[in-house]
Amino acid sequence: MKTIRLDGGDTEDLLYVGKDLQKPDVTQKVTGKAVYTDDIDMPGLTEGRLLHCPHAFARVKSIDISRAAALPGVLAVLTAKDAPEARFSRSTMAEALPSFAFDGERQDQRILTDICRYRGDCVAAVAAEDIYIAEQALDLIEVEYELLDPVFDPFEAMKPGAPKVHDDVQNNIAFEMDHPFNMGDTKKAFAEADVVVEFSGVNSRQKHLHMETDSAIAHFDETGRLTVISPSQGPHLGKKHLSERVFKDLSDGDIRWISPAIGGGFGARLALGLEPVAVLLARATGRPVRVTSTREEDFNGYSSRTDQHQKVRLAAMKDGTVVGIEQHIVSDAGAYLSHSATTSLVNMQKSLGLFRCDNVFGHVKVVYTNTPVTAGFRGYGNAEGAFVLQQAIDMLAEKLGMDPIELRSKNIRKEGEQSFFLPCKLEHSKLQECIDEGAKEFGWAEKFRGWDRPRDEGRFKRGVGMSILNHASGAGGFLLEHSSAIMKLQADGSANLVISPCEMGQGILGALAQVAAELSGVPYERIRVVTGDTDVTLFDIGSHASRSMFVVGNAVADCARKINAIIRERAVPHFEKRQIHVTADQLVARGGEIYPEGQPDKAIPIGEVAHDEIYNFTDAGSQISASGSYLSNSHHPNHQAAFAEVEVDTETGYVSIIRYLAAHDIGRTINPLLVESQMQGSAVQGFGFALKEDFVLDQKTGEVLNDTLLTYTAPTVMDVPEIDALMIEDPFEKGPLGAKGVGEAGVVNPAAAVANAIYDAIGVRLHSLPMSPEKILAMLQNDGEEHPAGSSHVSGQRL
Amino acid sequence: MKMLATFNVNGRDYDTVIEPHMTLADVLRDKLRLTGTKRACTAGNCGACTVLADEDPICSCITLAVLARDKRIETVEGLAAPGGALSPLQDAFVKNNAAQCGFCTAGMLMTAQAQLRDNPRPTREEVKQSISGNICRCTGYVKIVDAIMQAAEEIQAAEGA
Repeated sequence: MKTIRLDGGDTEDLLYVGKDLQKPDVTQKVTGKAVYTDDIDMPGLTEGRLLHCPHAFARVKSIDISRAAALPGVLAVLTAKDAPEARFSRSTMAEALPSFAFDGERQDQRILTDICRYRGDCVAAVAAEDIYIAEQALDLIEVEYELLDPVFDPFEAMKPGAPKVHDDVQNNIAFEMDHPFNMGDTKKAFAEADVVVEFSGVNSRQKHLHMETDSAIAHFDETGRLTVISPSQGPHLGKKHLSERVFKDLSDGDIRWISPAIGGGFGARLALGLEPVAVLLARATGRPVRVTSTREEDFNGYSSRTDQHQKVRLAAMKDGTVVGIEQHIVSDAGAYLSHSATTSLVNMQKSLGLFRCDNVFGHVKVVYTNTPVTAGFRGYGNAEGAFVLQQAIDMLAEKLGMDPIELRSKNIRKEGEQSFFLPCKLEHSKLQECIDEGAKEFGWAEKFRGWDRPRDEGRFKRGVGMSILNHASGAGGFLLEHSSAIMKLQADGSANLVISPCEMGQGILGALAQVAAELSGVPYERIRVVTGDTDVTLFDIGSHASRSMFVVGNAVADCARKINAIIRERAVPHFEKRQIHVTADQLVARGGEIYPEGQPDKAIPIGEVAHDEIYNFTDAGSQISASGSYLSNSHHPNHQAAFAEVEVDTETGYVSIIRYLAAHDIGRTINPLLVESQMQGSAVQGFGFALKEDFVLDQKTGEVLNDTLLTYTAPTVMDVPEIDALMIEDPFEKGPLGAKGVGEAGVVNPAAAVANAIYDAIGVRLHSLPMSPEKILAMLQNDGEEHPAGSSHVSGQRL
Repeated sequence: MKMLATFNVNGRDYDTVIEPHMTLADVLRDKLRLTGTKRACTAGNCGACTVLADEDPICSCITLAVLARDKRIETVEGLAAPGGALSPLQDAFVKNNAAQCGFCTAGMLMTAQAQLRDNPRPTREEVKQSISGNICRCTGYVKIVDAIMQAAEEIQAAEGA
């Protein structure tokens, strides 16, 4: 990974930040000692299993559990009548959203149901002494279903007379909204523009495919207090949501939520999974209950990216100034809404806000169908949008005869201008530098041979393409973006850092400890991170939106600075004892030592002060501790420009990515090794989204046809091309030591950049993901017309 | 039908009660409490459950436990030295940040362990081939391949010294 430092170099002398330090949990992961939910044992633990409806739309006419309940070892068999009537959304975001977006969080689902709206809906739950007995019990439950006519296509679902997935929802439209920041007059702008382009497309239902399937343990202790253990990305919101919406007899403090090691999240764990049913079974049995899903259940019943059908129109003047942008979205939520409305809103916010433009119109409809539930996935609407918008902007560049870089550079929002998130200003953006430096590193000027160039001769044709993005560093101004951290010093001068982010593999605990070490004076290797228990950590809305480095990082920075001040203040008497007369302001605490500024030879260890505050105190004594907080009420996007070179085999339709380069506007890199890991991992997820990953539904039955890791073809090591990451560093004054977010953005550009490169290679534009060989071949044979076969989206219709 | 069985895992014999339908992964995890081996697909598709049986990598999630009774089984728990010192492969995974969420890591390590025994000087392409049946959703694989290549070099250097 290469770094370009815009201010010419760092004048600060940093001990920990900017270094490839080992993250705290890595050793337990390479020794098999990390404990995930399914690894936990506890006295009396029982196992739960769920009975799923085998039909896409059906009503339970009768259900007989008597044989299952009589099986020795079965502790409880529950059906819809045993579950709370209360409807809830799997998305916990209702608790953290402003009112204008709140309708997007329809509370529409029950834990167990007698109206099954997709094949993953649960009609019964069993708890038994072991998993084998639970499995046998499922076979003994007899259900008689009344089959209902299902609807799988969002466009069909909106037509009058279509089956109603939810009785109380007209035309199956679960959510409909104009973009809250619509402005100007797009009709007039389009009428007066010199050039107009229109492009439509849809993304596939990419699966999160966290390697650890969903799992949850629930148990009530002797006082009746509930503990939930699950791989949650947001346990604090989880317990609020669970008590507020599902188990209304519980209150927020009645629930302790523990997130152990998490086997990948990518957004899926922002939603409730198996926790509610585990709680229901624990209550019924009076025993701890664990429910773990199989991979097939994960495919059929859990969640995926929402397929968002989009139409984008762009209007521009001859000089390339964009004067109008329109975006229409029809999203297929599946059977329940979960995150699909908010991801669609975020798509609009990013797509309509990337370019400076006075006439903007966006509209979204989110539709119910009898298909599996969709939800938030890394990129959260942005990856879905980029695939369409970034092709449209290239079409505009072609019409105008401009280089794609020139057109984008002319229209992107620049630092100091209004941001896409009104009323916030764009306080920091190095997107232009990402474009310029990325292009240089990639060799764009030599590789992009203009719009009129002849295609390569022969079977294999090469092309290049690019894409740009803005993404969040937390959703300040939109979500409840505050976080807090606690630090306390032990008697040996080591420290505990108590923070909330969930470690899903991103390495955030290490990066935050680096910030804490740099600013507190306690060495990195002597900071022990405590996390994953809502009884211990302070409130935080969870790990998503690339918020942890920025929002939690600022809370950690605040806390660490306070610790540093306390250490210096309490050290004064220690220097007095040594006949050194200094004030706290004249002392430096750094790297485990305290010394008068400029006199490191007079250093005393922090441990001496920390020890005496606990064990040898005078009237001023108390353990050194502090808490710090941060509230982000503005929007501070990070940015990325990406460049792809592909080779298309025109005989097989197979697309190979030859090289991929992404330049990221990071503010400051806290840990280059962790950042590079995020850049590589997100890019490869993006390649899967671009070329391979499909979620194929049987259009007659609604069944997921590729519900195994064999048939759902995620990228393997053989699919990985040369990936270069370029960091554009320019410390942002509001970030912790200048840092902005990084982990999420990398998945956004690949599909868009690859789509543009495919066009450059063979002159056809793909309208749906993945850009699989059969679609490429069909387009080559059909003179650029896309063949619907192999398309992941249920609907062959196009917006 | 319950049956008494003995398994040799990481050089130690374990006596336990199993049932004929149990897989090796189930016995390792649920009976012997060696939970480092993961179940991610229970169909032999992803490699997360890979252990070594008489030095060959196998998917423990589709291997019936009864068939593993007379084999020498090695799992991730047996890689580090008895005192806890990491093996060169584990150490290279740490240094290269080749484990993110960690759920595929045990399977990756065991697959690579088998390969480095068979072929101590693999090319990068050979390393990729050997882990091509192991799915990782976090890392994009680059750091895993880097780590295995580095471990191979370090093992060679240590043996040459």
